[in-house]
Formats: sequence, structure tokens, C-alpha cells
Amino acid sequence: MEVVNPRAALLSNYEVLSLLRDLESDQLARTKTAHRIKKEEEASGLGSTVPVGGGKDPTVVDVCENLRTVSFEAIQYLSADYQPTASQTPQAITQLVKSLAPYELTKAEKLQIVNLAPQNHIELYVIVEELEDRLSEHMEEILSHVSSSLVVDPALNPVSRGTVVQNAVAVDDWEEGDYQYVAEEFDDTGTGAGVEGDLEMDGDDD
Amino acid sequence: MFNLAILKDKVSVHPSDFGGPQEQAIISELNKKYANRVLHDVGLCVCVFDITEAGEGKVRYGDGFLWYTVIFRMVIFRPFASEVILAKVMSSDRYGVRLTLGFFDDIYIPVAYLPAPNAFDPNEPAHFWLPSAEENTPLLDSPTAERMWIDKGEVVRVRVEADEFYDDEPGPVKMADGVQVVKDAQARAPFTITVSMAEQGLGPTSWWSAAEPEGGEEGDAAMDEG
Repeated sequence: MEVVNPRAALLSNYEVLSLLRDLESDQLARTKTAHRIKKEEEASGLGSTVPVGGGKDPTVVDVCENLRTVSFEAIQYLSADYQPTASQTPQAITQLVKSLAPYELTKAEKLQIVNLAPQNHIELYVIVEELEDRLSEHMEEILSHVSSSLVVDPALNPVSRGTVVQNAVAVDDWEEGDYQYVAEEFDDTGTGAGVEGDLEMDGDDD
Repeated sequence: MFNLAILKDKVSVHPSDFGGPQEQAIISELNKKYANRVLHDVGLCVCVFDITEAGEGKVRYGDGFLWYTVIFRMVIFRPFASEVILAKVMSSDRYGVRLTLGFFDDIYIPVAYLPAPNAFDPNEPAHFWLPSAEENTPLLDSPTAERMWIDKGEVVRVRVEADEFYDDEPGPVKMADGVQVVKDAQARAPFTITVSMAEQGLGPTSWWSAAEPEGGEEGDAAMDEG
């Protein structure tokens, strides 16, 4: 086991929240599918005497306890009331980062503004170093950019896997050093491109 | 708060998992191994982000598993120094305050990083801040109404000062009178974060929620709290 790069890129809270929610819904979808298939097989009386998969029950989708614990708790924390994460959308975040460009903020400061969504001066003061010297005239503008990036009703906020990728591609500020991965489009449809091709058991020629 | 780490490892997939897509089987093996565990000098692993590269599965002599060498990206929790985060107060004692994020509990504020002047009241038990304290008056004599408490369950804004990794190497088995001495489960946390709330704007969010423009005091909300 080797650590190739302990910090290849920074992630915003929103990206992590949407990743975890996708993981959870994939999990649920797979369990439901597995159950449905089992019911169909039972209904049509197909039960075979040879156990499939070496005796492992295909309806039991193996989810590791640790993963469930950490993702459940993290989703709880990130979607809490006191966090702005639940009211954010990927487009709003991209917009916010673009609008912060002229103020010469460091990556860390921009990331924190996205994660914490400061609503008043004192919160901004805590995030940005030497606020008065650097940005005394622009504080109001920054605060208004932030509040316009927050959606009013979190219940209407759609969260999907596609958004994580778009966010990573559009917000290319996040990566540090020579981080090349973001440049390529990730194909989530799994149609045998790249990695999937190597793993095919049938021995397809790629 | 979160970052991506690129890791390389060998994982084995059990034959019962050969039916589904291999990527899924590999990801779930990786999650089983890493989720919710601390990697020394890297941080707390949350979940696998994706697989960058995976070689062909190879069968080893002696078992039927398929072994893959995988390079993958993992979501890691490790706030950077001087980052501001929101956390909940879990407990207080006379050495400081302990905070939690739900999925991570080992965040500590040593007494030195609490806003001065402050004192610890063992009757609550909680720390409190008394901004209007006069010189030389013992803080614990102050009227309870004027104290700015740091209560359990409150949401606080803190700045990360440092983090520390502790790797407990298991030593040789200890024996006493020919009977194995079983060591207590983990006495020290593998990953602790030290934070501070000693600046203006840090501390319980309710203290600052109706704050005046910078350079100001804690504002009306705080005054009403008494």
C-alpha cells in the first residue's frame, strides 16, 4: 500500500455531500433490484439446486459497516441547518467562484467562502486574512455574491452524480500542483472505456 | 475540510463477486479496507472517489481470489491549518473543550485557546467567557447572567491550529506468569485536531450572528443572551 499523493485536490463540502448521497442511493437501488430479482425468481419457480455465486446470497448487498457509519454521519453533518451546504447548487458555486476572481483571494480563502457562506462582515473577517487592508471596499460585494449563491428552499435542490463531475471540471481552481485528472471528462456510463476495458472478464478486445 | 488522496494498493476479489461489474467489486473491497479508518499522515478516509487504474486480475497459487493492483482516489477528511470549521461541543473539562463533527470526534480546544478572560465552572460543567471582567476579580464570582457560556451541543466556529497522528505499533506480546496480558483497546486517538476559538468571530455562532461591522464587539445578540 502506497500513498502516491496525500493531497491531490481539495474538495468542497458540497462535492462530498453529493458524492455521499449518490453512494447511498446507489446502495438502495442495488438492494431493491436484488430483492426484486429474487422475488421474480421465486414467483416463477426457478430455484436451482446449485447455489449461485458459491453460496453467497445475491440479495444481500454487502455494505461494509464502516462505510455506512461514516457516510451516514458525514451526510448528517454536511446537511445540517447551520451549514450552507444543503442550500447550494453546483451552478451557484461555480458562479460564486468566478465572481470571487477579481479579489485576489487564495484558493484556501475561496474554498472556505464556499464552504461557510459568510453572511456578515465578522464571518468574512475570520476567513480572509487582513480583510481591512486588502478588501475594505469590496466586502459588501463579496457578501452579496455569497447570499445570491444560496438557494432559498433546500428541498428543491437536486443532487446527482453528474453534478460532482461538472463541478470538478468547471472549478479548476481547486487542484494544487500538477493535478491532471480534472482535465479529462469522466465517463460514468461504464461502457468499456478506460479502466472498465481492462477489467472485463470476457476478454473483449478493446 | 476534505481532499482527494491518490493511493495504490493490491486488493483481492472473492469468486462470489465475479458476477457483477468488476469495478464495483474492487471499490467495495477498497471501502471495506479503508472507510472510516485513519491513514497515518494522510487523514481520515471517508470513501473511495473513483478508480484511476486497475491492472488485470491475477490468480495466486493457493486461493481463488483475483488480485488487482489498483491506483485509486479516496476522499480524505483533513482540515488544513488555519481553516475555519463549524463543530458541535461534545464535552468540557478543566483542560479544555472537546468538539465533534458527528463522523469525527477528536477535536480539542485546550484552555489556552479559549477566548480570554475565561474560567471553568465545574458545577455546569462548562467554560465561560467574561468579556467585561475587571482586573483582579475572581471570574467564578461573577454573576451567572453575565457569563458567556460555551455549552454542550452548541455549534461553534473554530480555527484549526494543528493536527497530530499517533501510530500505535503493536509490540511483542506481553506475558505475565505465562498468561497473556491483553492490552486495553486504544488509549490514544490515531488522529486528533487542535483548534482555537480565541479570535473575534470564533466561538458559538450565536455570539456573532447579529454582529456589527468588523472591529466591533460581539453585538446585540450577545448582549441579549444574559
